Amino acid sequence: MTCARVRGRLSEWLDGELEPAAARVVASHLQECTECARRAEELRDISALLAGLPRLEAGEPVAARVLDRLEMEAESRRPALAALFRGFAAARPLMLPSLVPAGLVLASILAGVLALDPGPLPEVHLAPGAWGAVPASGTERNPLFPSAEVEIPRETSALDLSPEVLAGRGEGSVFVETVVARDGTVAGVTVLQGSAEREGALVEALRQQRYEPVRYRGRRVAVSVYRLISRMNVEEAGPVITGSPSS
Amino acid sequence: MSNLMERGGRIAMGASEMPLEAQALTGAGQERALVDSCRSGDPIAFARLVRLHEGMVFNLSARLLGDSEEARDVAQEVFLQVYRQLGRFEGRSSLKTWIYRIAVNQCHNRRRFWHRRRRDREEGLEAVPAEGAGARTGSSPYEEARRRERARRVQTALLQLSFEHRSVLVLREVEGLTCAEVAGALGVPEGTVKSRLSRAREAMRLRLLGLVEEGGAS
Repeated sequence: MTCARVRGRLSEWLDGELEPAAARVVASHLQECTECARRAEELRDISALLAGLPRLEAGEPVAARVLDRLEMEAESRRPALAALFRGFAAARPLMLPSLVPAGLVLASILAGVLALDPGPLPEVHLAPGAWGAVPASGTERNPLFPSAEVEIPRETSALDLSPEVLAGRGEGSVFVETVVARDGTVAGVTVLQGSAEREGALVEALRQQRYEPVRYRGRRVAVSVYRLISRMNVEEAGPVITGSPSS
Repeated sequence: MSNLMERGGRIAMGASEMPLEAQALTGAGQERALVDSCRSGDPIAFARLVRLHEGMVFNLSARLLGDSEEARDVAQEVFLQVYRQLGRFEGRSSLKTWIYRIAVNQCHNRRRFWHRRRRDREEGLEAVPAEGAGARTGSSPYEEARRRERARRVQTALLQLSFEHRSVLVLREVEGLTCAEVAGALGVPEGTVKSRLSRAREAMRLRLLGLVEEGGAS
């Protein structure tokens, strides 16, 4: 056995914890190797020094302190809830007084909010299912708007602007939306600006118009057209329609 | 525990009332009976249990912490824990080993607490009364001073070791436990105790070379 291995086992050898065979090998090595023998002696001295340390005494019996403490704990457990609150108030003597200004601040904020409240907002009535199913895009109930891909519908019949139609009209302009259905008929006319009642004849004339069906990606679609019609245009240049789709 | 104060007070006042109680337990049967009495809430039995073990707990704590005041606090905490956990003591190890284990853990926690607060104060233990001090016959004042100085140097070297090494050395060399008992007290396998002991002794040898060469162990 090498010196390094012997020294690694000296501690166990001194404790008598080595197997008899290993202990014999270590013992015979120590007889031959003075360096290892000296190391063993030093370790033995260390053990003696530690074992020779005087035993220290607490000076006062621990039992009395422990029993006192257990008694105190048993006392404090008895009126559990009262002790809890007594401890809380004692540890934070300013806690309750400080709640008064805090309460006042909270009350003034609430009063301010109530004073500035403009009242309830108007109620909004929604048709049943308004947020539910949206009609398919390109149908009469959800028409497309003219764009780069959706053409402006071309009229196949001119707007009837006979004197009967124009008779009841007012002086101003009228802004209308015409929904051209998928078959080229007019699905609906809505007066967006102007009087729907006074423009009844004009609206009826618009309803009678026919258009070439508009296609989008190979299928027919309904399209909405916006028009601004003014009396000046009608009177000076005959049946002129300012058909400016403004989508 | 309702009449604890009254009976505990009597116990606290009259240490002389308990010479019989401080006698060591002579067998596992006696130990079992004492534990059972403590569990049933008998304060006299618990006071006896504390008296039997307080010396070893204080000595171990003082050697591990190097501070007598801390050691007194730890000893108190150890027995409070013993009282609370006695119901869980299964008797697989001896009561002594079980109490040692609680004490080592308490000391370890106490050291971690210090480290967290950068309050690693370790006062000397020279002022602590030692068993039999001054009663040695035939020792000159010079011999006594030399012995105290040697003890101080050994304690200083102990405190320079890691807690792991210190605890294994104190349990084995100072308290005189066997390797198996040390394993039980530390909650580690016996093989680990042996290897730790070997490294701890070597670390201690390097720190105390001068003292050993002076023939300090004599």
